[in-house]
Amino acid sequence: MTAELLLFAFAAGLAIAFALAMVVEKTPVRSVLSLVVTFFGITVLAVMLAAPFIAAIIMIVYAGAILVLFLFVIMLLNLNEEAREKDSRPVQRVLGLVSALALGGLLLGLTLRAGKPPVEPSALPGRIPALDEIPLVGRLLFSDYLFAFEAVAVLLLAAAVGALILSRRRMD
Amino acid sequence: MSVPPAAFLAAGTILFVIGLVGALLKRNALSIFLSIELMMNAVNLLFLTYGRMRGDPSSHVIVFFVIAIAAAEAAVGLAVFVALFRSRQTIEVDRVNLLKW
Amino acid sequence: MSPGTFFLLAAVAKIAVVWAIMLAALLPNLVWMERRGAGLIQDRPGPNRVGPFGLFQAVADVLKMFLKEDVTPLYADKLLHTVAPAILLVPALTTFAVIPFGSSIPVLGREVKLVIADVNIGLLYVLALTSVGVYGLVLAGWASNNKYSLLGGVRSGAQVISYELSMGLAAIATFVTAGSLKPSAVVDWQVQNVWNCIPQAVGFLVFVVAAFAETNRVPFDLPEAEAELVAGYHTEYSAFKFGMFFMSEYANMIAASAMIVTLYLGGWSLPFVPFTGVWGGIFSIAVFWAKTLAIICVFIWVRWTLPRFRYDQLMSLGWKVLLPLSVANLLAVAWIVAMKGPA
Repeated sequence: MTAELLLFAFAAGLAIAFALAMVVEKTPVRSVLSLVVTFFGITVLAVMLAAPFIAAIIMIVYAGAILVLFLFVIMLLNLNEEAREKDSRPVQRVLGLVSALALGGLLLGLTLRAGKPPVEPSALPGRIPALDEIPLVGRLLFSDYLFAFEAVAVLLLAAAVGALILSRRRMD
Repeated sequence: MSVPPAAFLAAGTILFVIGLVGALLKRNALSIFLSIELMMNAVNLLFLTYGRMRGDPSSHVIVFFVIAIAAAEAAVGLAVFVALFRSRQTIEVDRVNLLKW
Repeated sequence: MSPGTFFLLAAVAKIAVVWAIMLAALLPNLVWMERRGAGLIQDRPGPNRVGPFGLFQAVADVLKMFLKEDVTPLYADKLLHTVAPAILLVPALTTFAVIPFGSSIPVLGREVKLVIADVNIGLLYVLALTSVGVYGLVLAGWASNNKYSLLGGVRSGAQVISYELSMGLAAIATFVTAGSLKPSAVVDWQVQNVWNCIPQAVGFLVFVVAAFAETNRVPFDLPEAEAELVAGYHTEYSAFKFGMFFMSEYANMIAASAMIVTLYLGGWSLPFVPFTGVWGGIFSIAVFWAKTLAIICVFIWVRWTLPRFRYDQLMSLGWKVLLPLSVANLLAVAWIVAMKGPA
């Protein structure tokens, strides 16, 4: 039981447990907080995958900005508990859970079977040296993926303007 | 690495399925949206795992773009929810059914 | 011993040193410094009853925090109410993991760099922590089931996320000149060249103003203002949880001062003084903490001198003044670095 295995078990367990909590929770505020902890678990897993830059970006953008936006909207709309359902539909619930488990098993089997990479990784040039990927990512963003980068910049501008217009109060 | 990549793939897949279940079973539009965010992040994890297995740094770039697009989508989606709430006073997807008989 | 165990022992020793200096020595005495400094500026004695010169005031305050009755409001979300101060305190304390508080000490033939964790992404780690700290503020306001708390919490959260943008962009300009995201690289650059507050004066100003806003200190402490919002997001808190809010504000102040000293005022270095060997390392620790203490005194001085901003003035300052200034600063610095060519 090396330290790495323990860390992986802790992070993955945390992420999965709080993802389940997010789905089960009735209050939206607690759902958002459970998701924050899930993202923290995913961040730790990303660091273990030699992607510390992406891990920091996930915390800053996802957990620190997008989920705060969710929280503000929940407080703006003053959403409390989900109301009790009038008809509980037990058969459909059980059917839904069973089919979700079946889908999960199917996907799991597929990903685990396809796990062997087609090319031996050490034979590939440009391998990621551990924990030093920031210059590589920067260079890729501005050479191979330049068009996508500029397009995403325009997309973000459009999204900001769109959000402003959509949430404006009608003056009539 | 002493942790087999299959373990990371399994974790990512389980998170994706949990997000999918949440997106299908919840009635509050915000909770559905949160589950969709969880699905996107699970896919990020899978991308990073495959990138590490192949030694390819372009997986990091793809994850970067996914996060940026998720941010844009969250902003617009939440603005839509706010506008919806203002006109219907509810945000549950079961009640927003004016076009159905 | 193997490099692994050596690294582990060194890390534990460094954590112990930082906690001993910061938590045990600095944090309680900050309370005293603030009160006596306030008294000095307002031409009154300040606390001088508890112990000589009032030095044990901190002990009295801590005892009060522990012994008061812990009240949780009715219909409040008990779990969130309890967790919110902790969410605010943890980022303030863990920012110190990446700040270099000294040069390096040779121990057993190996050089031990005086940073707890010299990660490649130092600045991003600090930004991520400030982003997580927003949750403490907003949740404290929400979980108290009180409209003043909610307003204070939401305003405080919006203030923090607005100013952390300018703060991050101003800090990035210093990392662009240093060529790496590690704070120790910035300090090394400043040791070889000049302190960053001189060539990047605009960035320095933006960073300091944003640091005031991030730590909710006057002139940006509208969310805690007594006259406007009762006590903002910590209205409904008493005893130990209020003590944690209190402590987290001071810990945030210490962390912000440490960041200012590291990025702009040369960190642990003095111009023209080489720090070598064991005594050099210890002396560099002393220089770092002396500079941090000086910036904390500036924080306290500004608090009791300036009036506070109105909320719309505060937000317009953050978005319409500081953000364009920090972006312009970053563009100018990046242009100059690009013109100089690859190092």
